[in-house]
Amino acid sequence: MSKGICVSSLSLLSVLGYLEVLACVAALCVLIAKKQWADYWALGSFLALRAGSDSVLIAVHGASGRIIERHLAYHIYFYVYWVSFALESVLALLIVYGVFRLAMAPLKGLQTLGMLIFKWAAGISVAVALGSAFTPGVKGTVMLVNAISQLQRTQSILTLCLLLFVTFAVRPMGLSYSSRIFGVSLGLGIMSTNDLVQSAWLVFNPNLASVYNVINGVVVCVILTMWTAYFALPEPKRRIIVLPTTSPFLRWNQISQALGDSPGFVAVGGVPPELFAPAELEVMRRASIKMVTPFPPQAETRATFSRAV
Amino acid sequence: MKVIVRSLVVALAVTGAIATTLVNTTPAKATVTAKTSAMPVPACDPNGPSDCGMGDW
Repeated sequence: MSKGICVSSLSLLSVLGYLEVLACVAALCVLIAKKQWADYWALGSFLALRAGSDSVLIAVHGASGRIIERHLAYHIYFYVYWVSFALESVLALLIVYGVFRLAMAPLKGLQTLGMLIFKWAAGISVAVALGSAFTPGVKGTVMLVNAISQLQRTQSILTLCLLLFVTFAVRPMGLSYSSRIFGVSLGLGIMSTNDLVQSAWLVFNPNLASVYNVINGVVVCVILTMWTAYFALPEPKRRIIVLPTTSPFLRWNQISQALGDSPGFVAVGGVPPELFAPAELEVMRRASIKMVTPFPPQAETRATFSRAV
Repeated sequence: MKVIVRSLVVALAVTGAIATTLVNTTPAKATVTAKTSAMPVPACDPNGPSDCGMGDW
């Protein structure tokens, strides 16, 4: 009986594996067909990588014990899985970055400031996560898996922060829950939560194929179907954003825009008089006359000006 | 609609936070994260004696 349950569960896993590849390809095709590659290239790359790596994993798994020796097959499976996982985590960070950029597009100043903060926060988080994986006594594949797991956990937390931000700022940004920006964020958020819960599950059940894989397979198929639907359906236009003139958002946006401006320069000394046009010299002469005294003698002013120049 | 979506997102964030706390407080040697995928997780050492049930599904 238990053998029967195991076999049916494993068959279900293989079906879910094929479905996942198909859903990835479908979502990627819809994304390209709707000409959204420029805005969502990171998501497109993520889907392409996931479809490719899953295909290789399914093939290796299928060939294990028949064409390829089981231990060798496990070696290939192990490295393809974890390397593709690391690349997917990096791409997920780029998706989060892209979604934030798109969401903040109307407020250019805050967008620039937010992206700068995001880059620093992501950079420091990734450095700390990877650094914490390199503990004494841990090396080889264990270190690789630890580093990728830490990177993925960091990415999941950043993604959940972005999802919270997009959800609560969706209306002030002129978006709606039918927007692709929200759809992509929600899908990523569900994936991140599932990853974190799964990481807690794996502490107690480190088996290759466990019950959680079935949950995983269903969750990822739901996410991919949701993304396909969001890209296939027409996106509602962004509403006009109206802010009161006293809005702190508006004020901070103006301040942030001014922060990036290149400053003007003032010549304070060592300027030869040949640099100035005669008209400029005349303006300066008159200005200096006014600055020295309200009614100075003309000859004295001229002398002062020549000394100054 | 707004309340439902916001509640769902907050629930996701809280679940993620609880899971992270649980992982961090577990006295395990190494905590592994895996893909949200139907593909089995290769959590065994590739240089070890076990093939981790490879090819069983």
